[in-house]
Amino acid sequence: MTLLLFLAILDGLAYAAQVFMVAVGLTLIFGVLRILNVAHGSFFAIGGYVAATLGTWAAATAAAPVLALPVLLLAAVMVGGVLGPAIERLVLARIYTKEHVLQLLVTFALFMILEDVQKLVWGVQPIFQDGPVRALGQVEVGDIIYTAYQLYLLPGVALATLFGLMWFLRRTLTGRVIVAVTEDREAATAMGIDANRVYLLTFTVGTVLAALGGALASPTTSLVPGVGVNMIVLSFAVVATAGLGQIEGAMLTALLIGLGRSVAVYFAPEFEVVIPYIIMVAVLLIRPHGLFGRPELRRV
Amino acid sequence: MTAPLLSARGLKIAFGGVKAADGIDLDIAPGEFVAIIGPNGAGKTTFINMTTGYLRPHSGHIHFDGAEITGRPPRSIVRRGIARSFQIPQLFTEHTVIENVALKVAAHGRFWRPFRPLLDAGTAAAAMRLLEQFGLAGVATARATELNEGTRKLTDIAMAMALRPRLLLMDEPTSGVASAEKFGIMDTLVAALRAERVTAVFVEHDMEVVERYADRVAVWSQGKILASGPPAAVLSDPAVLREVIGVETGHAHA
Repeated sequence: MTLLLFLAILDGLAYAAQVFMVAVGLTLIFGVLRILNVAHGSFFAIGGYVAATLGTWAAATAAAPVLALPVLLLAAVMVGGVLGPAIERLVLARIYTKEHVLQLLVTFALFMILEDVQKLVWGVQPIFQDGPVRALGQVEVGDIIYTAYQLYLLPGVALATLFGLMWFLRRTLTGRVIVAVTEDREAATAMGIDANRVYLLTFTVGTVLAALGGALASPTTSLVPGVGVNMIVLSFAVVATAGLGQIEGAMLTALLIGLGRSVAVYFAPEFEVVIPYIIMVAVLLIRPHGLFGRPELRRV
Repeated sequence: MTAPLLSARGLKIAFGGVKAADGIDLDIAPGEFVAIIGPNGAGKTTFINMTTGYLRPHSGHIHFDGAEITGRPPRSIVRRGIARSFQIPQLFTEHTVIENVALKVAAHGRFWRPFRPLLDAGTAAAAMRLLEQFGLAGVATARATELNEGTRKLTDIAMAMALRPRLLLMDEPTSGVASAEKFGIMDTLVAALRAERVTAVFVEHDMEVVERYADRVAVWSQGKILASGPPAAVLSDPAVLREVIGVETGHAHA
């Protein structure tokens, strides 16, 4: 019983880290661009697929263990760096002033298109890589043998992302400019800030984070069609529970939902799928703006 | 006579049937401190909006330092050296006072150095110097939401000054400020403007403030300039009294 609970906690932490990587990008993009991007799940999936493809190629080379981890980052930057700016400029820039319903429909259409692109490129058979997990080996935690990848790397990357983003948004010039545009686009533009560049940069950063989430997930889960749907729905639950636009809040609710889900996996598997949504509904019934959200005040 | 720093000729704009500017001609000489007075709806703020690029006049021309700026966007006008403050201060509420000012200090350079701190040594020092000039050093790290109205007004003006303007347009710098504070605010800002040799135009409803601080006063009425000259002369003109001061008595003795 204790052992199972311990295992559930370890699994929950690793899972929360993965979900956070996707949710934080979603909430950042919403906070600045005010668009709820359904296609965010596709960036996660494509990041995973590209990482698995690159990883499989790297595993065949002589430098396999050294390349296993850098390949994950490379995949994320490639996917986010190409898809992010292209989609922001070609599609989103045209709908910023449109109604939210239309924005949702457009990003949903993008999601469907990207879903088909994945099937065309990678087919429908499960794809998997384990290079990164093997490269880091295993560790003993009490009586449990666990992978160092899930125990250290996933939570480590998530924490580094959280603190990195907080530092960036609070301390750097570019970060403060992003917050200023979020707050009052007109006043920021009047003092010489190019709001379009802020949107482009923010969307690209959010896309890279989602793709990194997918790349990091690729050694722990099989990539199959539909993997993006699961992740975007779960990320929505995390983001809505935390309050839209809340970055630190997204970390805490990712933990809450990740741990809730993995405890369910071990002790009440039939509830695995619904636990995150039960948590979300319970929170939103009591606090409609989410645990950390304030009504129309703070957005990033 | 020296060439005017700002020169407006034949400015016209109307909203629906209301003529907010109906042939405005106005010159501002370098170093002047000019008050614009007039009843609500006379077109005073509209003049500021046209001069700073927020509104494009339907006809007429505005020249700044000899170059035409009519209808240029706000960003471009800011870069030429005209800044403004607002009747309702436009502070970024997620930022501290010093960050608000620092953002504008940094607006001269490039915004896109992702890992450069906002408050690096140079920017922080420049922002702090402005805060000291405006008596705001004590609230440098306060959030913009924690300030009283007078401090918010001064911060908004300090932010405009951070853009290093040659001409500053202020929309009611003392409105909403407690009566006891208004002269303190005006003393501070006039001293800062003189120290930086900035020419300024301010819209004002308070005749005590106008008499005490303005070099010249221009009286606005229904989109036209009714009178212009030294405050003592203009404010004793019967036509002006009837048109403006009559409506403004409440403010004058508030």
